[in-house]
Amino acid sequence: MLKNLSKLTAAAIITLVLSAVLLARTIGAGLNGMNLQNGDWVTSTATGTKDANILLKAGVALGGLLASAQEDSMYYRLSAINGEPLRLNCRYRIEGRDYDANWWSVTAYGWDNYLIPNSQGRYSFNNENLMRKVDGSWVITVAATEQPGNWLPIGPAGAPAWRKSTSHDFDLLLRLYTPGETYLNTPRSAPLPRVTREDCQ
Amino acid sequence: MKLLQWLLGIVVCAWAGQYVLALLLPYLAMEALYFLGDKRQGHNQLVVAAVPDENSRHVVRPSPDLLYASCIYNLKEGALTIEAPVPARYWSMQFYQMNTDNYAGITNQRAERDRVGSIASVTLISADQSPENYEGDVIQSPTSRGVVLLRASAMGDRSQQQAALDASICRPADP
Repeated sequence: MLKNLSKLTAAAIITLVLSAVLLARTIGAGLNGMNLQNGDWVTSTATGTKDANILLKAGVALGGLLASAQEDSMYYRLSAINGEPLRLNCRYRIEGRDYDANWWSVTAYGWDNYLIPNSQGRYSFNNENLMRKVDGSWVITVAATEQPGNWLPIGPAGAPAWRKSTSHDFDLLLRLYTPGETYLNTPRSAPLPRVTREDCQ
Repeated sequence: MKLLQWLLGIVVCAWAGQYVLALLLPYLAMEALYFLGDKRQGHNQLVVAAVPDENSRHVVRPSPDLLYASCIYNLKEGALTIEAPVPARYWSMQFYQMNTDNYAGITNQRAERDRVGSIASVTLISADQSPENYEGDVIQSPTSRGVVLLRASAMGDRSQQQAALDASICRPADP
């Protein structure tokens, strides 16, 4: 009797741990309902609403708690380029122009979903503080080492490395506050910044 | 054979279990946020946060381009009044229930631009209270507990938006 109870308890604990691992993998693999793909960026129009499915809600709970509904803001996330997860030892180039929103920003987050510690105290660029070319376009360089122009520094996340369960080292989040009709109606094809990998060390 | 049955049972239960966990996770995250927030700042009062940086680790993915103020609420103690001066630059007041849903919000954007320069005054009531008993903007919370989050632009000169958040309040409504 006692032996069976021990077996059942052990099985229940293993099941619970395995469930948590499976859920973390499902969400980490981008299968969390944030399923509208626009190039390498992903978004969802149901974020923050009662229409969000259980996986999206779980994803929001872990990586986007207190996100607003899309009429207020839309969030596009990029954690990989052509399937290659973003790495700290690589340099990335983000190119863009202006977007139809009251304001927008591009922020780098560690795999732990928090701002990345860096000596510059620079965590994002927004539509007002970017250095632009004469035609209004801009380029941000994302790298761990200092870069000329709009440099968005990256580095190890603030959380201990043993807790890392994602394939990417960091990700980029494009916020569009009070997004225009293009984003509300055609989020899959609306204009977004282009992100490319320049080189890796 | 018996071991294989056990393993198969565990795998099947774990696969189904991830969806049960997914169902519980929003509630657990909000409960944790509520518990820690209540411990840190109390409830039914507004607290203005510092501009987010790498040390901001109370809520995931803070925006360094926004100023935040929050009121963790419990309507079991009665209705609340939230008053906030509305600055000219981006500002919003969003309401979240305990399953993470952003169930209501007001802003100074789109059709609500005329709020700029005014003081937004909202009465937050619980699901069992009647909105007809209150005047002005009344918002009914689906759950007795939740979070009100004020966001304001931190871009450029943020003094007006900071002053607006500093002057905002969340307090028990007048009986």
